[in-house]
Amino acid sequence: MTLELDRLHKTFDDFTALDRISLTVEGSEFVCLLGPSGCGKTTLLRIIAGLLTQDSGRLLLDGKDLSAVPARERGFGIVFQSYSLFPNMTVAENIGYGMRIRKAERAKIAARVAELLELIKLPHLADRLPYQLSGGQQQRVALARAVAVDPRLILLDEPLSALDAKVRADLRVEIRELQRRLGIPTVMVTHDQEEAMMLSDRIVCMNAGRIEQVGAPQDLYLRPATKFVADFMGSSNLLPTDWVRDAMPALMNSRPDGADADYLACLRPEHVRLQPLDAGEARVVDVTFLGNISRTKVAWKGRELMVQTGHVGGVAPGAAVAVSVDAAGCGWVRA
Amino acid sequence: MSIAAVEVAERSGFRLRRAGNDRLLIAAAIALPCLALLIFFVFPLAMMLRRSLVADDGSIGFANYVALARTPGILKATLNSLTLGLATTAVCLVLGFVLAYTMTRTRVPGARIISAVLALPMLAPSLVLGLGLIFLLGRNGLISGMLGKRIDIYGLPGLLIADVLYALPQAVLILKAALAHADARYYDAAEVMGAGRWRQFFDITLPNVKFGLLSAGFVVFTVTITDFGNAAVIGGDYAVLATEIYNQVTGQMKFGIGAVVGLLLLAPTGIAVYIERVAAQRQFGGGAEGAVPPQLSFVPARDVPLSIVTGLATLSVLAVIGVVIYASFMRLWPYRLTFTLKHYDITLSGGYAPLWTSLLVSVVAASVGTFLLFALVYGIRRLPSLPAKIVYLVATMPVGVPGLVLGLSYIFAFNIAGSPLSVLYGSALLLALCNFYHYHTQGFLTMVTGMRAVPPALEEAATCLGSGAGEVLANVIIPVMTPTLISVFFFLFMRSMVTLSAVIFLVTPSLGIAAVSVMRLDEAGFVSQAAAFSTCIMLVVCAAALAMQLALKWLAARGGRR
Repeated sequence: MTLELDRLHKTFDDFTALDRISLTVEGSEFVCLLGPSGCGKTTLLRIIAGLLTQDSGRLLLDGKDLSAVPARERGFGIVFQSYSLFPNMTVAENIGYGMRIRKAERAKIAARVAELLELIKLPHLADRLPYQLSGGQQQRVALARAVAVDPRLILLDEPLSALDAKVRADLRVEIRELQRRLGIPTVMVTHDQEEAMMLSDRIVCMNAGRIEQVGAPQDLYLRPATKFVADFMGSSNLLPTDWVRDAMPALMNSRPDGADADYLACLRPEHVRLQPLDAGEARVVDVTFLGNISRTKVAWKGRELMVQTGHVGGVAPGAAVAVSVDAAGCGWVRA
Repeated sequence: MSIAAVEVAERSGFRLRRAGNDRLLIAAAIALPCLALLIFFVFPLAMMLRRSLVADDGSIGFANYVALARTPGILKATLNSLTLGLATTAVCLVLGFVLAYTMTRTRVPGARIISAVLALPMLAPSLVLGLGLIFLLGRNGLISGMLGKRIDIYGLPGLLIADVLYALPQAVLILKAALAHADARYYDAAEVMGAGRWRQFFDITLPNVKFGLLSAGFVVFTVTITDFGNAAVIGGDYAVLATEIYNQVTGQMKFGIGAVVGLLLLAPTGIAVYIERVAAQRQFGGGAEGAVPPQLSFVPARDVPLSIVTGLATLSVLAVIGVVIYASFMRLWPYRLTFTLKHYDITLSGGYAPLWTSLLVSVVAASVGTFLLFALVYGIRRLPSLPAKIVYLVATMPVGVPGLVLGLSYIFAFNIAGSPLSVLYGSALLLALCNFYHYHTQGFLTMVTGMRAVPPALEEAATCLGSGAGEVLANVIIPVMTPTLISVFFFLFMRSMVTLSAVIFLVTPSLGIAAVSVMRLDEAGFVSQAAAFSTCIMLVVCAAALAMQLALKWLAARGGRR
C-alpha cells in the first residue's frame, strides 16, 4: 500500500490551512502528524479520510487518484477523539456495523466481532451499550470497529486525548501492538510529542500548514532540521552563531556553511554538563528538582542556558560552576 | 497476522451509483420544506402587504392606511391593547420571577406540583381562563355569590387576570431556565467577600437572569396583545386590537383595513422578537462549563413569603381551570350544584364534530410539521453558509407573526377566485398548515437543538465505515433525534388543538374547530356547554401530554440515558 500526497493545498476563507503538502506513507508504517493546534494536521487527516476536499493537489492510493472517491468508498478505518460509538447500538453491533453496511453474511460478522472483542480484551462486554463503558473501553471498541472491515488505512484523530493519563498510557501500548499485529498502515494526529515518539515509525512535524520535518523519532529529536522542530520536540538551547563561535568553538565544526543569521545551534539540556567550581565562569540562576533529574538554569557569557543533569552536589542558586558541552549532541537548525 | 482477513464486498466502487441517490435525498430535503415555507408563510404575508396597498376601488396607494386612521375606535383599541399588554407583562414578570425563583433556588416543597399546575393553562385554549374567571367572579360567579356583591369582571380587570394566568406559565418556564444556570462558586466567592443575601441577589442573581427577564417580558407582551380568545370571552366593552381586526374583516368585510391592522400588529412583535434574539446572542457563552449547582437551604424569612405568593398563584390557576371542569358537571350554575352530564350533550350545530375536526387537523399538522421540520433541519446543514443563513432566518420568522395575523394573511393568499391555491380554502389541510406555520419557529428551534446533539464525529465515523446518506440517516441521525421528533410532534399537536387566534379567520360554517366551538357556545349563552366542550379539549390534550411523557420515558429507559 502506498498513500501519496502531492502538493495538497487547502484554505479556509483567508486562512491557509495546508500549504502544498507532499508526503508518502508506505508499507505498514505508523505515521504521526504532530504539531500544535492550528498547524493543519487535522485538516490533512480529514482530507485523507475524504471528509474534506482539498483546493488543489492530488491524493493517490497505490497510484489511483482518490479525489473523486467519497469517504464511504475509500475503505479506511477512522477513530475520533470523542469515541463516537453509535449510542443506540451494542458494542457488538458497533463493531459489526461496517460489515453490515457491506452486506456481509451474519455468521461472518459474528465470527469477526468475536475475534475482535477477544483482541481488544473485552469479550464480556459484547452486549453492553456504549454509555455503560469507560472512556478507555469505548475507545478500544471504536478501534475494533475501525479495523473490522479490514481497512486499507487506519486514521486516528487524537484518539487518546480524551482519556486520563493512566488509561492513555495503557491504550497507547495496545494501539501500537494492534497496529503491528494487523500490519495496517496508520496515520495518527496528535499534539503530544511523547505520544508521537512512542508510537511512530515516522513523525511528520507540522507548523502553520507546512511540514517542518519528516523522520524517525530519533531523527527529529537528535537532528532537528528547523528551529520549530527543535523547540517543539522537547526543550533545547537555541544559540546564535556568533555567541557559539566565542563560547563553544568546538561546535563550529559541524556547522553547515551559511551566513551567521541562517543557523542556530541546538543544544539539548542533557548535553550540557556542570561542574561545581569556585573559579567557574557560570552562575547558577535557578534549580528545578524533578525527582530523578534536575533542571538548572545557569548564566554564562551573557546568556542563560538550560541544563539537565542527575544530582550534582553544590549546585544551588548563586553557586559558581564550570560548563562543558557534549559537542556530538549538538545540531544546527535553520533560524 | 493473527486475524483472518474477512471477505467484504468488493471495495472499489461497491456502491458508486448510490452517490446519485444521496444527492437526490438531500436535494429533496432542502427543496420540499423551503417550497412549503414559501407558499404557506412568505406568500400569504406578501399578499397581505399587497392587499393593504390596494384600495377598495382598485387604486394603489395608502388609502387603506388613511381609512384605518379615520375608523372610529381603532386608536382606542390600540391604546387599550398597549395598556393591557404592559400591565400583563409587569404582573407576569414579578409573579413569574417569584415562582421561578421559589422553584429553582429554594427548598420550598412541591415544585413538581407547582410545575404540573402551571402547565395546565398551556393545555387549554386561552379562553378557558376567561371562562373560569366568569364562573368564579362573573355575575353568577361562585365568589361573587359568596361575597354577596356584584363584581364587574368584564373588561380590563377580567382580561388582565385571564391574560396573566394564561401567560404566567410561559414566563415561568423561561425564567426557570434562566435561573437554573446558577454557579455556586459565584455565591461562595461573594459570601467569602462578605456580601449579604440581598447584595448577592442584586449583584449575582438578577444580572444573570436579565436576558431571561427581557425574553419573558416580550413573550408575555406578544401573547397578550395578540390573544383573541380571552378578549372575546371576558373583554366586554374593552375593545382591543385583536377583536377589532376580527370585526373589521369578518363583520364588515373591510379586508383592506384588516390587512393594514395585520401589518401594524407585526411591528411590536417583530421588534420584540428581534430584541429577544439580540439578547439571546449576547447571553451566549455566559454559562461556564462545569458550573457547580448552588446548595439550596431553607431560609424562613425568604421562603415563607415566597411560598405564600407561589401557593396563591398556583391555587388561582388551579381554581380557574378547575371551576370550568367542575361547572361542566353542574346542573344549573351556580344555583343547582348537582351532578349531571347533560351539558356534554352539545346542542349547538355540529355537536362534537368540531372536536374531531380539531383532532384530525392537529394530527395532520403534527405529522406534516414534524416531517417538514426534520427535512429542513437535515437539509440546511448541507447548504453553503449564506443560503443556510437565509433559510434559517425565514424559518425562525413565524414566531414574529401573531397567529391572528397569519390567519388573516391566509385569507388574502388562499381565498382568491381563480387561483389554483384556492382549492385549499375551507379545507382541514389548510387549517393544519396554518397551525403548523404558526408554531414553525418553536418546532424548528427544538429540531435544530436536537440536530446539534448528533455528534458530527459519529456521522463521519459512519461515513468512513461505508454508510450512504440514507444509512447515516437511519443509523445515526434518527436514533439520536427520536426524542426530539416525539417532542416536536406532540408540541405541534397540542398547540394545534388549543390555538384559536390563527384559525378563527379560516373556519367556515361547515368546518368548525374545537376552540371556536367553545367561543360560539359561550357567545350563545350556553356557558355550561362551553365548559363541557373545554373539558373535552383539555382531556384530549392532557392525554397527548401524557402519551408524550410515556414515550420519552420509555425511550430513555430503553436507551439507558438521555
